[in-house]
This record gives sequence, structure tokens and C-alpha cells, in this order.
Amino acid sequence: MIIWPILSAIGRTLWLPGADGVSRFSLETYVFFFSDQYSINNLMVTLWTTGVCALLLLPICLPIALYLRFAKGRLAAYVQGLAIFPMFVPSIILSYAIIRVLGPNGTVDLLFNSVGLPKIRSPYLTPWGPVIGLVWDNIPLTVLILLSGLGAVSDQSVEAARDVGARRWAVLWHIILPRITNSILVAISFTVLGIFSAFTLPYVLGPAAPEMMGPFMQRTFRDLNDPTNAITQAVISFAFCIVFGLFYVRSVAKNRKT
Amino acid sequence: MIKARTDWTGLFFAAALTVVIVFPLLIVGTWAFTNVWRYPSVIPQEFGLKYWAATTARADVWTSITMSLSLASVVTLLSAVICLPAAFAFARLEFPGRNILFFSFLAGQAFPKFGLLVAIAGIFLNLNLIGTFWGVILIQLVGTLLFMIWIPVAAFQSVDRRMEEAARDVGASPLRVFWSITMPQAGPTIAAAVLLNFVGTFYETEGAWLIGAPGIRTLPVLMISFINNQPVIQYGAVLSVLLWLPSFIALLFARRIIGSGSFARGFGG
Repeated sequence: MIIWPILSAIGRTLWLPGADGVSRFSLETYVFFFSDQYSINNLMVTLWTTGVCALLLLPICLPIALYLRFAKGRLAAYVQGLAIFPMFVPSIILSYAIIRVLGPNGTVDLLFNSVGLPKIRSPYLTPWGPVIGLVWDNIPLTVLILLSGLGAVSDQSVEAARDVGARRWAVLWHIILPRITNSILVAISFTVLGIFSAFTLPYVLGPAAPEMMGPFMQRTFRDLNDPTNAITQAVISFAFCIVFGLFYVRSVAKNRKT
Repeated sequence: MIKARTDWTGLFFAAALTVVIVFPLLIVGTWAFTNVWRYPSVIPQEFGLKYWAATTARADVWTSITMSLSLASVVTLLSAVICLPAAFAFARLEFPGRNILFFSFLAGQAFPKFGLLVAIAGIFLNLNLIGTFWGVILIQLVGTLLFMIWIPVAAFQSVDRRMEEAARDVGASPLRVFWSITMPQAGPTIAAAVLLNFVGTFYETEGAWLIGAPGIRTLPVLMISFINNQPVIQYGAVLSVLLWLPSFIALLFARRIIGSGSFARGFGG
């Protein structure tokens, strides 16, 4: 159900049906993709969004996860509850909320206006729209994965380092980070895989052109009625994600054995 | 006297997350109960339930609610029938090809999902499944497979085998052991997985749109068209509140599996 569609997708884009009904080997859909400026722009926007999201997610989620690992009590429970909460908000509602808050004449504009500040330049329908939405949407999983990795760091090792006079940053850098490198990489892989093919948020919040791969594939498939090129786009996005995908599978497999 | 140190970091995170996560949703909630809210007033000029009546009077809202509910029910049922025995087999039995099967499920997670959907949609095009109810069922089923195998496998594995063996020793039949020992222990987690699966399918947008449009219109797909083409803001807000209800129920029930570490570990953390 999973391997077969992928193989079939690769096959269908390489062996195109010829005029006489006999299929022939051809790279032309791929050549078209990489010679078409519009397609390349879309790919670039997708890569840019994925990179920016991954870069933003780590500095946001790592402190939260660190805090949750070492803090106890009701406040920590509240923070954890909030950090996981976006998981229960469907992305379509999220997009709507972002438009209402950050969109033109949205709540932020209202509040700024009431204290005499100018309107913001709304991220809605710019590449930053999907970035905000995707970061919001990916906070819970990133925090959970990092937190699960931090569970492997023992209290004793941190205390031992503190006792010999290590400062906070030294503890973080020498004791904690080396042990959660794997979790960080898994979190990044997961984010990359998720964002590369995100559809709803970029479709609703993003600009019409250049668009991210998700909406691009959808539009090519449905509106332009051109499945072969849509599948070519899908295969190309597989190719870009394969490194992260393999890494992810490998670390899950490793996790399962231990 | 030792005074408890104020948890400034905690307060900071709590405040920041409240603003970023709760605030936008509150705004949507406010819009849903607003009759008039014109720029530049900070609070709505008139509260009321006018648009609830207007939204629920729309025929397209009702057909898409029915469509979403029936899709989610059928998908969850099918996925439970397929996955739960498979999960039990994965957790308990050694059989040839076990690892290969397992990895093929895992591989599904290792590819960008939307690309996978497009690849499947390409096959469905040849099978004439585009725009049909069963086409959407099939594509949504693919998305649930991993989830419905993974969490139940963990649930079955965490059952205490010694209790099962003890029950067998005093003469209980395998079926009896399954019902009286295994299910009570694994049951709650599996029930939560089924519930999450139902809710996840209910919100699934990509597959439903790619395969189903224009014949099959689920609630999230309707919501997209409201966002893009509907000048009346309140329709979308009311629909959001309606849409969010199942998620809220899931939130109440699913805390146990998400709070426990096994969920994140399932994702490889």
C-alpha cells in the first residue's frame, strides 16, 4: 500500500505512453520540471519554508522541553498542557485563527490601532504565513520528541556536573546536548517530512505564486488535470526527503530493538 | 523561613504560550458569538447567536457534516478490523516477514505524506476511484494504518504475560484469557487510539480533497471554501467551533496515551 504507489509513481513518470500505445522510457517530465522556472521557484520556496521552520522550531521547543524536564508542579503541568494543545487543533481551524488575528484588520491591527500604532504588514498570503502556521502546528511533536530524549539524561549526571562547578551553559553543552543529539535529529527529520508536503496551511495562508510543493501538486493534479507532472513533482519531493526519511526509519528501528 | 523561589522561567513560558496558543483560538471563539464586529472597535459591537442559526440553516453544512461523520466511521471501523489483529500478531507472534512488514509500515512515515497521496491518487485515476466515496475511504485508510498498528502494538506488549499464563494454568481457554486478562489491560489505550483515529480522519483534509473533490465534500473541505470565498466571517468561526468539538472530546480522553512517553517513543524520539 505504501511501497507500491511509490514504485508505480516512479515507473509512470519514467515510462510514458507513446503515441502508438507502447510505453517508452523518457526523462522528459523531470527535464520539464527542472527547466521550468515556476516549478523551480516552488521547490525553492518549499525548501526555504522547511529550513526556516526547522530553524525556528529548535530554539522555541528546546527551552520548553528543558524547562519541562527539570521543572515540577502545577505551572509545569500547565506549560506542558499548552505545548501539546496545538495537536488538538486541526490545521484548518488554525489557519482561520491566524487570518483573524494576523490578517488585514485582524486582532493585532485592532489592538495596535487602539494604542495609536500603525497596522502591521500582515504575513497572510506571504511566505511567512505558512511559516507561522507550520511552526505553531509542529510545536507539540517537537517538544514531545525532545522531552522523550531528555528523559534519557539522568538527574545524577546533571547534579554531578553542577557539584564540580559547571555552569548552566556548560551543563547544557557538555552533558545534555550530546545525549539528545539523536532526538534533535529525529525531531528535525519529522519536521522536514511534515513541512515539505504540508498542504492545508500553505494553501490557505501562503501566496498564490510561488506556492509550496503541496498546493503545487494538488493544483497540477486537479486543476490542470495533469497527473503525470503532479506525480513527477511527488517523486521529486520524495527524493529531497529520502535522507531524512531513512534517518527517521533507522532511529525508530534502533529504538525498537533496545 | 524558606520562601519558595518564584518560577520565573515557568511563568514566562506559561505567559508566552498562553498568548501564542490560546489567544488566537479565543478570537475565533469570540467571532462565533458576534453579530457585529467592525473595524476599529477592539471588542465586538454586538454579541449574539444570529450566525449560529444562519450557519446551521445551510444545507451544505449539514451534508458535509453527515459526509464527514460517515467517512470517519467507516474508515475507523475498517482500520480497526484490519489493524487490531495485525497489531496483536506483531506484539505476540514471530512470523516470517515480520520485520519486512513492519518496515513497510514505517516507510510510510518516512515519505512526505502529500507526495504519497498524489502517487496513490495517480493509481486511483486509472481505477476510476477519483471523486467516489470509496476512493476517499481507501486513501484515508492509508493514513490511519501506522497509527492504528503502532499504539495497539505497544498496548499489547505492555500486558503482563505472567497473568495470562497464570490464567491458562488454572484452565482458562485462550479466548477467555484474551477477554478477561488481555483486553482489560490493553483496552483503554486501544480505545484511545481508536478515538484519536476517528478524530484524525474527521479532520483529514488533503486526501479527501485530492480524491473526493468535487463530489465528496467533508467539513474541513467546506471550511477551506468558506475561508477562501465567503465574505461573512462568522460562518467560518461558527464552523470552527463546531469542527473543534470532536477534537475537544478527544483531548479529554486521549491525555493518557499522549502524556505517557510511549507516544513520543512511537515517533522515534
